Amino acid sequence: MSYAYLFKYIIIGDTGVGKSCLLLQFTDKRFQPVHDLTIGVEFGARMITIDGKQIKLQIWDTAGQEAFRSITRSYYRGAAGALLVYDITRRETFNHLTTWLEDARQHSNSNMVIMLIGNKSDLDSRREVKKEEGEAFAREHGLVFMETSARTAANVEEAFINTAKEIYEKIQEGVFDINNEANGIKIGQQATPTNPALPGAGGAGGAVNSGCC
Amino acid sequence: MLNNFKNRFISAIEPDLSSADLLPDKFPYGRPPFLQLLTADELRASANHNVRPIIVPRDLNLLPWGTGYAECINSGKSKWNEDQAAFCRQVLTDPEKKYPDLPYTYFGIFDGHAGYGAALAASYQFHDILHEMLVDCSELLLPRDEVNDNSKSHQNPTFPHPTYFQRRVSRDELIIGALESAFFHMDWLIAQDRNYYRDAGGCTACVTLFIDGKMYVANAGDSRAVLCQRRAGAGVAASVMQSTADPNKTQTNPMDVDNSYPTAYSADHTPETERERLMNVARLKPQLMGQHYVAMEYAKRPHITDMGKRILCRQGTMKGWSYKTLTRNDLRIPVVNGEGKRSRLLGTLGVTRGFGDHDLLAINTGVQIKPFLTPHPDVRQRDLSQVVSIPDEHNEDGDYGILVMATDGLWDVSENDAVSRIVFQMLSRYPKEKHRYTMAAQELVARARGKINDSGHWRLADSKAAATVDDISVIVIPVYQYYKEHIDWTHNDTRELERRRRKAAEDNMAQEAVNDFNDIAAEEAHVVEERPQQVIAKAEQVIAVPNQEEERQKEDQHVLSESEETLVEKPNDNTPLQARLKTVTETLQQVQLEARAKATLEENTELSAEATSTVTTTTSANKQRNNRKGKGNKQ
Repeated sequence: MSYAYLFKYIIIGDTGVGKSCLLLQFTDKRFQPVHDLTIGVEFGARMITIDGKQIKLQIWDTAGQEAFRSITRSYYRGAAGALLVYDITRRETFNHLTTWLEDARQHSNSNMVIMLIGNKSDLDSRREVKKEEGEAFAREHGLVFMETSARTAANVEEAFINTAKEIYEKIQEGVFDINNEANGIKIGQQATPTNPALPGAGGAGGAVNSGCC
Repeated sequence: MLNNFKNRFISAIEPDLSSADLLPDKFPYGRPPFLQLLTADELRASANHNVRPIIVPRDLNLLPWGTGYAECINSGKSKWNEDQAAFCRQVLTDPEKKYPDLPYTYFGIFDGHAGYGAALAASYQFHDILHEMLVDCSELLLPRDEVNDNSKSHQNPTFPHPTYFQRRVSRDELIIGALESAFFHMDWLIAQDRNYYRDAGGCTACVTLFIDGKMYVANAGDSRAVLCQRRAGAGVAASVMQSTADPNKTQTNPMDVDNSYPTAYSADHTPETERERLMNVARLKPQLMGQHYVAMEYAKRPHITDMGKRILCRQGTMKGWSYKTLTRNDLRIPVVNGEGKRSRLLGTLGVTRGFGDHDLLAINTGVQIKPFLTPHPDVRQRDLSQVVSIPDEHNEDGDYGILVMATDGLWDVSENDAVSRIVFQMLSRYPKEKHRYTMAAQELVARARGKINDSGHWRLADSKAAATVDDISVIVIPVYQYYKEHIDWTHNDTRELERRRRKAAEDNMAQEAVNDFNDIAAEEAHVVEERPQQVIAKAEQVIAVPNQEEERQKEDQHVLSESEETLVEKPNDNTPLQARLKTVTETLQQVQLEARAKATLEENTELSAEATSTVTTTTSANKQRNNRKGKGNKQ
């Protein structure tokens, strides 16, 4: 599957806000009510189309627990987009946003697009954080905002795709240096002959460097 | 042919060019199955050389006993992670079902070089080979019923007449032998594949086998297995301290007192540590060195201008130094040069045992390296039944130890004692969590990998020192969890043996009863001609039940007295009295419990169905007991 660009995303936020569920809903279109605690990092990928171009999203889903924070920090490196997630039914997850944002700004490249996400919008009866509060926080810090539900899939596609659109626009504006992989963007196969076909996959592993001998 | 030769030569120094030979991979690249990195996208993301994510199992239940695992890729020296890890749980069974089964668990860690093929092959194939080797001698390994089996052991065909076979081979030696031959076989298998598949490169192998209440570590190469232990006291003292919560004493919190200590269960095989073996090979087969190398070591690298001068050197396997007049031949490259991690064999390879490398040629000279290498592992053993652990101290992990198996990516930058300290720090930070051993593994990898600085160099977090740029893989095994499983299994096993013995006895007795009855029945034959068989069955029941009761009581006493005997007989034994007393009472309880369960059952069961129902009762009684035991432990 060839793509024009690959964007690396990272999903961050307190434990239990639904990061892994958002990823699963986006990549597999399914909801898993009981999800194990994420201890390390998990990866997801999906192809989307923007402006007629195939774009591959490589998404890093991180552990939210405080204990894992020092390890998670190193994963901001080389991310083009971040989904900062809180749980609208738990006020404290909203209160911690500032810390998350500071962390993200400090360890990522300055052009990283951050999308603020209030998850679990299906649990409106147990809501503790008003939508307006989320909007206000986003405005104040220059983020894009959206409320989603990983359970009903409401706005999940949009959250990931809108972030990609924003990154794509920044590329068009020349804000991102797409030749520097540390920005979390990789140009697709047609431009880079070194792009890996997995060795052994279809027996084509050796074909890449077959120029010599 | 020439091309092939050239490719092999190139692959020795520049593995990535080896893709030029068009042979297929034997196994497609992948990560250990328990990580569940199944798609190409996940594999690619996990191999990010700039971020070097630390990968841990997604599903912690895939590894036994809560064993922890973590890995991370190199910083760019090879495209894929050349380390591999594997584990396998298997059971040795007697095809004739004469003996109870013997379960075992194996863990392996393989550090590849010059490609990922050899390590991958080992992770796929080693356990099958090992299983074959163990099955080969399983007749001698399987636990047997010593009471009933004494007569047979005399005719055991595997112990022939003393004139042919004078040594008595122990189980230990059989298992060590199985491990050793599995190592040789694995190496041979890679050699067989080299004409059909892409050059696999080579790999080190560090393997741990848990079997029969013992732990065997076999190692070839520079990966390492270290048993991290902790003296009792630290944890308990700390919890006491916390409960008293004296603010004045917090400065000397015993949690900070490092009571942990490491024991190496493998020795690294590098050109430096194996100097003597390598020099012996060179001395005995000088033709292997071609015209390029010399089995000599110099205090200072000799120069052509030193010709005819006396220089300090040691020849061959000498340990000390002496003077010699320099000749032209002495200007050749030493077989072993460099020190420590930088030591190289034939100026090329930094590890001297393992699998593969069959076509590896030395840099610049093209001399064959494989003749200097061997797959032969060192095997070390630990008998877990000898471990002293006092239940009240709750220091099982410290007493039995935590086995850390890791590739040199960890050990290059971490001392053994630092590793054992970190392991116990993490365990006390996560006292109850299911993922505590995974956290320990993750922490070890995180520390060894360090952080990347602005100029793109990986540095240790607590100093400016360079972190490892190599692949890192770490397995953290809670040895006590294995031993607990083993004890449970042995109990079931003993019970199974008892059941068989009793059944045999009952069968005999029932047979006698039937015979007696038949005699009586024959006398009354004219009256009871048309009676159904149930009468016979009833009579059997009447006779058999009291007999069983007696039998059982006898056995109970027997078990008790036997245990008491051992208590008296072996005062010097390491096992503490307390633990042993516990075993005795436990065994007694089991026997009683079983007897009770059986008695209740017999009251309302037909004799004809007895044989089958006894089996089910025993197993359900086992389950009950296990459940109880589990609850007890939690409390």
